[in-house]
Amino acid sequence: METEETINNWGQLCSDEMISPDIFGSGRPLNRESFTIRIFLMTLSLLTLYALFTMDYQGVDIAKATMDTLHNFKIIFMEPSTQRLGLWDAFYEVLITLGLAFLTTLFGGVIALFLGLLSAQNLAPRRITCCIKSFVAFIRAIPTILWVLIFAVAAGLGSAAAVIGMTFHSISYLTKAYSESFEELDRNVIEALSASGANWWQIVFQAVIPSSAAYLLSWTFMRFEINFANAIAMGAAAGAAGIGFDLFMAGGYYFDLKEVGLITYIVLAFAIVLEMIATHMKSNIHQKA
Amino acid sequence: MTPETSNPLLELKNVIKYYNRTTPALADISFSIMDGQFISIIGPSGSGKSTLLRCINRMIEVSSGEVCFDGVITSQLKKRDLRKLRTKIGMIFQHYNLVDRLTVIENVLHGRLGYKSTMAGVLGRYSQEEKMQAHRIINILGLHDQVYQRCDQLSGGQKQRVGIARALVQNPRMILCDEPISSLDPNSSKIIMDLLRSISREMGITFIVNLHQVNVALKYSDRIIGVNKGKLVLDGSPDQLTTERISDIYGSTAKDLMTDSEERYAAG
Repeated sequence: METEETINNWGQLCSDEMISPDIFGSGRPLNRESFTIRIFLMTLSLLTLYALFTMDYQGVDIAKATMDTLHNFKIIFMEPSTQRLGLWDAFYEVLITLGLAFLTTLFGGVIALFLGLLSAQNLAPRRITCCIKSFVAFIRAIPTILWVLIFAVAAGLGSAAAVIGMTFHSISYLTKAYSESFEELDRNVIEALSASGANWWQIVFQAVIPSSAAYLLSWTFMRFEINFANAIAMGAAAGAAGIGFDLFMAGGYYFDLKEVGLITYIVLAFAIVLEMIATHMKSNIHQKA
Repeated sequence: MTPETSNPLLELKNVIKYYNRTTPALADISFSIMDGQFISIIGPSGSGKSTLLRCINRMIEVSSGEVCFDGVITSQLKKRDLRKLRTKIGMIFQHYNLVDRLTVIENVLHGRLGYKSTMAGVLGRYSQEEKMQAHRIINILGLHDQVYQRCDQLSGGQKQRVGIARALVQNPRMILCDEPISSLDPNSSKIIMDLLRSISREMGITFIVNLHQVNVALKYSDRIIGVNKGKLVLDGSPDQLTTERISDIYGSTAKDLMTDSEERYAAG
């Protein structure tokens, strides 16, 4: 008798029974999760319908617009060519963009290495790690482009602002990645070395960095790829030179879709090469690890 | 202080350690150890064995009391002198605590870091003499075929021998062992304990070994210290350790204890 009562009580705590399964007339059992999902989907579809009926098209013919867009795509991707920009120039501009990415990753990596050490829980006191981690999280929450524009106030639009802003964001990203790699190393190993008289710097360079080197390399290269993409965008948005600026000029000022196509292909080629190098490096690391 | 003919190597006076306000992890522990002794500390899990060991080289700070090593009161040492003290005390761990991604020789040479300047240590510059000593110790411990292997490729017994080599390369006066055989199978356990014993005999190094295996403690030690709930409950030679005393230490009747089969138990 007593057992039955308890089981009954448990049953009532379960949310399944709180909501009657027949609200929507379906035979399927309804728990809180699927109920929430249903409400969410219904709200979304209602909003979509409302938006479709009340949108102001300003006389745009949807069919014609779609055709024109496809036509533009055809020009961009099928007939890439160049009038102003020589192939060699384009290549040189990509090198500038790569340089921008390299410089910001290098600055970011070096600074993040030290911040990462200070924000790894097995290496630094809790108060410092918390401070640095929340500070970096704050930087990371704001997009790179905003940091570039913020620094543009002081440095003026151009490469200087782009380098500072992108470095800033790289630092925050890499600090988090690095510190998590450092935390992989067991606290006990650090204890063992400090018990033999080694000091903090020696432990860091003899144990912590050697054991996380593979991760560090992999994260740094990842950030380099991100910075390459960012550097293109910064060229366009912040006037930081490089291939992004040419893309911006070709598309925004000369309406030269063929050149836009060519630049897109060049960037794509470089991105693929970077990706291939990264994959190769990662497979090497996995073999070693 | 009266001058004695032979001063103890290590002396603990009324050592107390509190982790929280209510219960002490170590309650008023005093003992002294002469040079070259092989000492086991036994006691149930959580009785303060590890804390006691770490208070000796100040990996854990004592709350009150005095630890005196080789005539120096350790709690008064500044950072630089503490490093110097720690170079004289080696330490061996249950989980070996090696840097897995590095080779055996690199791990062994880590034992020399305490003697080096920060810069030399950071750059990993070891003198020819240090390298030769490391190789010599590795050869003695029978690891010469694994010198350039990464430590994650070694077996448990081999890893523990690397741990011992790392401690020996420090040229220590004393080696602290925190349950050195708890993660090893009976065969490797015996090899490791025999090694520790012979090192103690031949090199005259003092050993303090935390053990879970009472029969191992009985077999190898010159002296056994029993700890329970942070209190020193036994201090004497192995033949003083009767089954009654064992049950005192572990707080249960002797027949409930797995004294004989403990080695097998630990391997499982």
